[in-house]
Amino acid sequence: MSRRGVGLGAFTNRTQTSQSYATHGANLRSTHTASLQTQLSVFQSLLHTFALEHSSTIKSDPTFRAEFARMCNTIGVDPLAASNIKGKNGRRGLGEGGSFWTQILGGDMNDFYFEVATRVVDLCRETRSENGGLIGVEECRKRVGKGKAIGSGLEVSDDDILRAVRSLEPLGSGFSIVNVGSKQYIRSVPKELNTDQATVLEAIQVLGFVSVSMLRLNLKWEKARAQTVIDDLLADGLVWVDAQGPEKEYWSPQNLLDDSG
Amino acid sequence: MTLPFPFPREHNWPPFFTPQPNTTTRQDQLRKWSDLIQSWCRHHRQYRLSLIEAVESPLFFNATLRKRLDIREARAVVDWMTKSEEEGGGGRRAEWIPDAGGGLSSGVMGSAQGQGPRAVAWIWWKRPEEWADLLVEWVEGTGQRGSVLTVYELIQGEGTASQEFHGMDTDVMLRSLNVLVKRGKAQIFGGEGQEGVKFF
Repeated sequence: MSRRGVGLGAFTNRTQTSQSYATHGANLRSTHTASLQTQLSVFQSLLHTFALEHSSTIKSDPTFRAEFARMCNTIGVDPLAASNIKGKNGRRGLGEGGSFWTQILGGDMNDFYFEVATRVVDLCRETRSENGGLIGVEECRKRVGKGKAIGSGLEVSDDDILRAVRSLEPLGSGFSIVNVGSKQYIRSVPKELNTDQATVLEAIQVLGFVSVSMLRLNLKWEKARAQTVIDDLLADGLVWVDAQGPEKEYWSPQNLLDDSG
Repeated sequence: MTLPFPFPREHNWPPFFTPQPNTTTRQDQLRKWSDLIQSWCRHHRQYRLSLIEAVESPLFFNATLRKRLDIREARAVVDWMTKSEEEGGGGRRAEWIPDAGGGLSSGVMGSAQGQGPRAVAWIWWKRPEEWADLLVEWVEGTGQRGSVLTVYELIQGEGTASQEFHGMDTDVMLRSLNVLVKRGKAQIFGGEGQEGVKFF
């Protein structure tokens, strides 16, 4: 092999060599894929066993559920991915479609997120005239967790709320998650906050309330700019005004929700 | 017997006492005030609300925040409560008492001496029709259909001690009984202050 062939025969030789290299490569690749596939299916079945084994914990413990969901996400399994297509039909069993939750835990888990989503939608609708369609995920969780009727409390985490809101997206519901400062909110009105508005809301989070002169002092804004932003927030129902002090103060209705009702 | 009234969260929130410029927010605010006034009156077994007295009470004046609902605003809230929901109001949960006197006595005084119009209102935490339903329920539950009772008995009698209408304002009782008269379920007789009633 090392000696270079002479004459036309060398060409045939070379073709043969490269062909055998290619075959070998293909072999290697397929073995590799096969072994990866085995690994993946082993892992999936382990995950399956794990989920079954701990299904009651997953259902009852919000922290555990969130960790489990994060693990699924890491390996590229979106637990809710198929839930909007198949719905409850997934009860039939493994591999027949339905979401991952449904496949491994039965319909209960789907129903659980469906229930959470329903409550979130109810709460958003109910409080829209109070808060202009912006509600803190944390406040939402507290209220949803409580439930209205006796014994209807649900153990939910912030993660469950976010998951439920995201599961609404394919419905074109106009529900979205908005970050303001360090807090997450559910926006149930399809209207975006501009940067100035978000800044003011963040300031209210920190200070409790704001006034035009506070905004001018802290953000170095012109009076007109501060006034415009506040007027916009008022018009959208996102802040309430208190006119009984020396200067008008603007408050966020978020803290109205905490543990009332 | 009287436990402190559990104020809702918004009562401890400064903007609640300022009329909100945004109409949607304003509706929400009016509804919250209406609920609060009704549960306040219910808690204190109060059937009529005098605004002049109320603006100095903890209901409309939060001493801790030093915020108050002034009389003009209080009047606007009650006005809203008097309207039906179709009119964009609070479902007739209040009703102005025309020419109500200054005090709680039922003597009719001129508006110069009294508080004038829109000064005192019935607060219907239960509307007369709702009271009427309760009365019927009680009468039927205790097998007193066909019997004659005095209005005084209904309000103060031992037989009604466990009922919500026990100790009720006489005028409200008569209003409620009149609802039953209209429905053909009761008959009122006797002179003022001595009324008796027969249930059918």
